Amino acid sequence: MRKSNIRRGAALGAAVALVAGMTAACGDSESGGGSESKLGKDDVLTITTFSDFGYDLLIDQWNADPDRPFTVKHTKVADWDPWKKTLTQELQAGHGLTDIVAVEGDAMPQFVSEGASDQFVDLSDSSLDDRWVDYAYQAAQTADGKQIGYPTDVGPEAFCYRADLFKKAGLPSDREEVKPIFATWDSYFEAGKKLVAALPDTKWYDASGSIAQAMLNQTEFPFQTAENEVNIDNPEIQNVWDTVTQYSSTLSPQVVQWGEDWTANFRNDGFATMPCPGWMFSNIKSSAPNVKGWDIVDAFPGGGGNWGGSFLAVPTQSEHPEEAKQFAAWLTDKDQELAVFEAAGNYPANVAAEEALAAENATDPYFNDAPTAAILASRAAAVEPGHPYKGDKYSDILGLFQTAIQRVDEGSSPEDSWKTFVQAVESLS
Amino acid sequence: MTTVQAARSGDAGAPASQAPPRLTRRQRLSHWDYRFAPYLYVLPFFAVFVLVGIYPMVYSGYLSFFSWPRFGPHHGDSVGFANYAHVLQDPVFRKAFWNTIAIFLLSSVPQVATATIVAAMLDTQLRGRTWWRMSVLLPFVVAPAATALIFGSLFADKTGLINELIHAVGLPKIGWHSDRFASWTAIASMVNYRWTGYNTLIILAAMQAVSREYYEAAAIDGASRVQQFFHITLPSISPTMLFVIITSTIGGLQIFTEPRLFDTNLQFQGGADYQYQTLTMYVFNTSNSSTDPYPRAAAATWIIVLIIITIALINFGLTRLVQRRSER
Amino acid sequence: MNRRPGFLVYGLLSAFVLGSAFPLYWSFVIGSVTKERAIHSPPPLYPGGHFLENARRVFDQIDFWSALANSIIISSVSAASVVFFSTLAGYAFAKLKFKGRNAGMAFVIATMAVPTQLALMPLLKEFSNLGLAGTRTAVVLPWLVTAFGVFFMRQYLVDAIPDELIEAARVDGCSQIRTFWTVAVPAARPAMAILALFTFMHTWTDFMWPLLILQGSDVQTLQTALDQLKIAPAGGISDIALLQAGTLLATIPLLVLFIATGRQLVAGIMQGAVKG
Repeated sequence: MRKSNIRRGAALGAAVALVAGMTAACGDSESGGGSESKLGKDDVLTITTFSDFGYDLLIDQWNADPDRPFTVKHTKVADWDPWKKTLTQELQAGHGLTDIVAVEGDAMPQFVSEGASDQFVDLSDSSLDDRWVDYAYQAAQTADGKQIGYPTDVGPEAFCYRADLFKKAGLPSDREEVKPIFATWDSYFEAGKKLVAALPDTKWYDASGSIAQAMLNQTEFPFQTAENEVNIDNPEIQNVWDTVTQYSSTLSPQVVQWGEDWTANFRNDGFATMPCPGWMFSNIKSSAPNVKGWDIVDAFPGGGGNWGGSFLAVPTQSEHPEEAKQFAAWLTDKDQELAVFEAAGNYPANVAAEEALAAENATDPYFNDAPTAAILASRAAAVEPGHPYKGDKYSDILGLFQTAIQRVDEGSSPEDSWKTFVQAVESLS
Repeated sequence: MTTVQAARSGDAGAPASQAPPRLTRRQRLSHWDYRFAPYLYVLPFFAVFVLVGIYPMVYSGYLSFFSWPRFGPHHGDSVGFANYAHVLQDPVFRKAFWNTIAIFLLSSVPQVATATIVAAMLDTQLRGRTWWRMSVLLPFVVAPAATALIFGSLFADKTGLINELIHAVGLPKIGWHSDRFASWTAIASMVNYRWTGYNTLIILAAMQAVSREYYEAAAIDGASRVQQFFHITLPSISPTMLFVIITSTIGGLQIFTEPRLFDTNLQFQGGADYQYQTLTMYVFNTSNSSTDPYPRAAAATWIIVLIIITIALINFGLTRLVQRRSER
Repeated sequence: MNRRPGFLVYGLLSAFVLGSAFPLYWSFVIGSVTKERAIHSPPPLYPGGHFLENARRVFDQIDFWSALANSIIISSVSAASVVFFSTLAGYAFAKLKFKGRNAGMAFVIATMAVPTQLALMPLLKEFSNLGLAGTRTAVVLPWLVTAFGVFFMRQYLVDAIPDELIEAARVDGCSQIRTFWTVAVPAARPAMAILALFTFMHTWTDFMWPLLILQGSDVQTLQTALDQLKIAPAGGISDIALLQAGTLLATIPLLVLFIATGRQLVAGIMQGAVKG
């Protein structure tokens, strides 16, 4: 094998030498990795995040500081899914990633699993052990105790709703009075039927996928057993599937989450409620800056739930692992996670930051002066740690599950779509 | 020695019976030059082509018989034909096959027909001939990626111009992304947009090569313009049609950019139900997956190569058959 | 057909040309309104006044100028390389007699039907192992030579150079290489220009391979930068005004090239057709 590699190398190498001669003058970006070097003040450390991590201001301030140890370049990718693809592929290729990468919580299990975790730098630091809430911190630990990520935020879910549309439909609209609607999933769907009957152009929720996600977050073993065996033939997942597909044609706008049509629905009263982890706040604001009537209720059907929450990790291909670790630790420290909450609404995973937020009792004028910090603190207390269990294939199967729901939204029968889903899950292994 | 050489290189035209001319050193050098120079001319091309064209094909073939450990740097153990079996049994691959064929037919048939009609209109005494020719070629400079993004916006399900127009005249909006046939149509229209003008010019060139005397003779016989078109023009340009069809087969079966950028599915699987995933998208996604990515992609590549060659040959055969018929 | 066309032909042709231009117009309409207006029903039909603003946002979002430079470099290297290798080989196949000529030409024609670029995708990891992933070198590698190039030059040169000319040069004692320079290259010049133009455009518009090999890299071409614009507007919200402004900006270079060389392009396509 070794030998054939050399031969292969030689063959391609010859072609490369030929081309390199032609393009060398243009200064191809250097490649390779592993070798460490110290960064100076104007040397660049790179970081990639997705959606909105709320880092713009923090990084601007960092780079404006004349005493900074190095300069930071921040790349933002819109959605997690394409970034996950790139991340996986570049990890496999062993090349191309930034010094720090953001990892969505659902995918963490596949990166802490054996084989994959070797691709990340061990960030363990005993002085940081009590810095973040336990369940988030432990989610980025391998079985043998290697820490591959620092938690940036957690996603305790509240519900966001359009008080103005509720009023129009004859539903209660006050933050306290709507609580019974969000007590159980049954009461939630019943209220939805009333609203869509009263307002024919408005659907009850933003997307089938987000309700599926919310219900999934309350299950125990949706896709894999505790031994990481794939098992999608269980009552928990069946219940989510049946419920969401049943209401697809009546309560859902049948659009793909994060897409163009989904975004447009924010502006034309396309829907009235959506599950709302803290990080969703900034999505709502930037999609519908001029819409008035959004509010947040401190309740969630069927208990609590955690949606998302991300990590910063350092791939071993980084040439500056020490600086990367230092910067990741800085970004997830108390003051920075507080600033992120201020900027984007992402609820801190940092314990000290959570305590500070609870004391300060912040409100948000966009959401009718809702006490966002208090609501999220209360929602965080309702989260059952460890729900749902995320095995090494959780994120992959979740993507396929969401796609299966999209098929039903687009007109497939639930039976056919489920069959395709089972096939797709089988070909994962 | 020199005699033999002179006799062998027949193109020198020296009759062997004549007394052998004594060659100067310079002439001898020239002999060597003429024998070996052609190889020196074609060798650079073949050397590079083998490296960047043939070698990757062969190496992909080799790779297709191995496994690939997750996040591993090199291939694993040999697995025989398991990767080929996996690809051929994969329902997604089969779906991608039919999608590709359908998109190809929807793009090539209307395209060649439209191009022929437009070419016939250009093959007249138009004013501003060059201007017209350049104008029909305009879409060719819009890159497929740009075409796909522009058409993606035109075909957006809720807010796109086309559905708004359909809605305005009172018809139900079409699910351009969700409906299988509609998505094929949308993607095929992008291909047609970019290539119709190009093929128009090729067919126009063939039409202009047809001798004008035929038309004059036919006109004297009282044949209408339409009759002239079917009995003179079409048979004369059929070799060019063959060329157009074969080149569009090779390109059309590799379609990637348009469906990829048209995709709204977050997994880039060509729609939630793989309704417009194409064969090339299949290879691309397989190369980016986590289970045996490269060997499976390599197996899929080779299967696709065989499919393309087969279809190109069928195409060639069919067109030849039609051509011979029409010549009779 | 040798007739003066009537109004019908002019009308139909005008409709065809307007249809060809419409998508570009639409792109400009969407690219010149605000992002809110762009997805508001009914859709805008006339351009708005926000194109420069959207263009500025494009420049904030992606490294447009570096992508433009990369596209120019990659396409130029590919065009120069294809023309060089194809002219040499095409001349030999067209005008020189040597053993294996027919077999070699048959091989070239056969490989035109084989999608050799497809086979590069499974070699992604090999490119990474060689440190090539994410480089311009990797993007241009598959476009250094094409079988089509050789075929095209051969078809052109077969008729463009009379055999007597080469024979005369030989009788004069010209070495092969001098014959090539003094006879073949001048005769091939128009075809070389057309082949360069085609190859340039082809490499410029290539999407699949650069998308795969440049994933996650700072190096992007104009086409892959558009993909980034589609999936990556910051803030996570899709923004078609931004996307269409970017699309139009990325199309401008080829439009300029088209205006400058359109006649040659038309001539090239039509000439290639008759020969092919």
